[in-house]
Amino acid sequence: MVIVKRKELSLSEKLYIPEVLRGLSVTFRKMFEPKITRQYPEEPLVKTDVTRGQPRLVVNENDTIACVSCGLCEAACPAYAITIDGGETDRAIEREPVRFDIDMLRCILCGFCEEACPKDAIYMSDELELADYSREALIYDMDKLKRPKAALQKRIDYVNRINTRWQTPSST
Amino acid sequence: MADALFYVMAVAAVLAALGVVLAKNPMQCVLSLLVSFFALAVIYLLAGFQFLAAAQILVYAGAIMVLFLFVIMLLNLGSPGTEDPTDVRMFSRANATLMVVVAAAILFVLALAIRRAGPMPVENSLPEGGLDPIPGLAGEMFGRYLLPFEAISVLLLATAVAVVVLAKRDRRANEESKA
Amino acid sequence: MSTWEGFLIALVKTVVIFGTVVQVAALMTLAERKFSAWMQYRIGPNRVGPFGLLQPLADGVKFIFKEELTPDGANKWLFRAAPILAALPAMMTIAVIPFTPDIVIGGRNFGSLAVADLDVGILYILALGGLAIYGVILGGWASNSKYSLMGSLRASAQMISYELTLILTILAVVVMSGSLNLREIVESQPTVGHWHIWTQPLAFVMFVVATFAETNRHPFDFSECEPELVGGFHTEYSAMKWAMFYIGEYSAMTMMACLTVVLFLGGWSVPFWESAPWFVCLAAFLAKTSVFLFLFLWVRWSLPRFRFDQLMRLGWKVFLPLALINLLVTGALVSLF
Repeated sequence: MVIVKRKELSLSEKLYIPEVLRGLSVTFRKMFEPKITRQYPEEPLVKTDVTRGQPRLVVNENDTIACVSCGLCEAACPAYAITIDGGETDRAIEREPVRFDIDMLRCILCGFCEEACPKDAIYMSDELELADYSREALIYDMDKLKRPKAALQKRIDYVNRINTRWQTPSST
Repeated sequence: MADALFYVMAVAAVLAALGVVLAKNPMQCVLSLLVSFFALAVIYLLAGFQFLAAAQILVYAGAIMVLFLFVIMLLNLGSPGTEDPTDVRMFSRANATLMVVVAAAILFVLALAIRRAGPMPVENSLPEGGLDPIPGLAGEMFGRYLLPFEAISVLLLATAVAVVVLAKRDRRANEESKA
Repeated sequence: MSTWEGFLIALVKTVVIFGTVVQVAALMTLAERKFSAWMQYRIGPNRVGPFGLLQPLADGVKFIFKEELTPDGANKWLFRAAPILAALPAMMTIAVIPFTPDIVIGGRNFGSLAVADLDVGILYILALGGLAIYGVILGGWASNSKYSLMGSLRASAQMISYELTLILTILAVVVMSGSLNLREIVESQPTVGHWHIWTQPLAFVMFVVATFAETNRHPFDFSECEPELVGGFHTEYSAMKWAMFYIGEYSAMTMMACLTVVLFLGGWSVPFWESAPWFVCLAAFLAKTSVFLFLFLWVRWSLPRFRFDQLMRLGWKVFLPLALINLLVTGALVSLF
């Protein structure tokens, strides 16, 4: 059992006033210290390789997406933000999504879809801004989600680097 | 203008006083009493008694009515229409007769006092500082009327002590009856 | 001077004083946010107008257009009346504060910048100031909500307790200056050496603490004690009715700051310049007042809130006896010398 003894107050502490003045002097000094506020729209957020923004579909060099509409991201999504309808295609991968919607109002930017995807088709971009006038406009369909690979390259490289780091011990 | 204000305030005071007696909701009674006090304070002011008006609001409206409100809020008295046994006891025939007699007696004494005092001297211009300048008032209160003043203080103190004693005894009796 | 001229002068003074008080109350909301931000390494509102100066205006527009809610089972009339009752007393008491000595322009004397020069000025302030409690009590009771009721009960208990200290400390000053008239109290302390802050240091400290409790400000803001009571007595209020409570709070702060200056800091008296012209005096008064207004904000963002039993103990067991002894000693010394 832990017995915490109440600290005996000295006379000046019991009188409150000296301590109150001490507290006031601290806050007064802090008023003149440099501010840490970021003036957001003018000073945008610093984006690093790790920045995990909204999920986007990677468009490869030949203008296709790698998604085979397996539904793993849909299943992994804790916010039920992803809706996929699959369809057939003549391409070698045989299946592709006819509909791939992400409800950005539900998306919590957790990155589970990115982790779940076996085809490296979905990655978290560094886009963070999300504003519109209606709820419908914030349900992003495939056209809105597609991004050229070059735009996501930093994140892709980062994820690959991290994944290889975890893979190394198990392969030996 | 002052005359008109007097009549407005007088009517307000009387109506509010009636409201105190007739209103069913205790909250309305208290607020009516408050309005009555204010109207009275304004009448004091019109008559040139600045100190009296200020004291009226400070003591009655500012302190005593707040206590009334407190008690009503804490007791959470029933909404109007619900039958409360204390109401029945309070308005029994004997009590009602007693109340009328007491009210008549007070009215009689008041009327007598007003007759004795005679009409107020009417002055067109009030003296600077009103009819009750504070140095004069203080001199009278702590000089000529020191004894009555102190007697009233003792009376109030006795009342306060009595209330505490009564409240304590009540609680002990309750505990004994429970045990 | 004809009646019309007198009326006109009184009208101008009234408009100037009340306009200023409402403006100060509005600007205080901005100052509150600015200072709190600076003390926390932030910048504070700076989008509306230069340095965010138009923020109070934007807030006002927002309050007007917000939805007004009346809780189910609330007493409609009292629910509406309470915000008005909360805002009125502070604005009415400001009427007797003398801001300047007699204003003389071009050889003409326009009197002091005060709406009324009452011989019972202090009593008037105490009487009407004591009524602010009705807004709090009725607002809490009429809301038909347990949080509001608890908040208003606490607030009113606190205001009653600290009003005693307030009155007793004011009385000490009254004894020193021998008048209840605020103008005469100011005139009784013409130079820095005469300021009652030096002759009544204990009363000064207790008075300032009591003003914090009286205006329900931090560290005594039990009426709104967010962690336990949501918003206290104004939990159920919204839009302009809610804003009225805040106008009342900030006006009361302004009023109390003015009163502190009048009672303890020599009102309009300028240090080391006894025959200063009236506009310098006005500037001195406003400067002193703003120091106390800043103190209200400063303390709020520095100190933790008291516990309710600590507050009551401080009020009844420390301040009340001290104030009584202080008054007794002051009275004895004044009558002896």
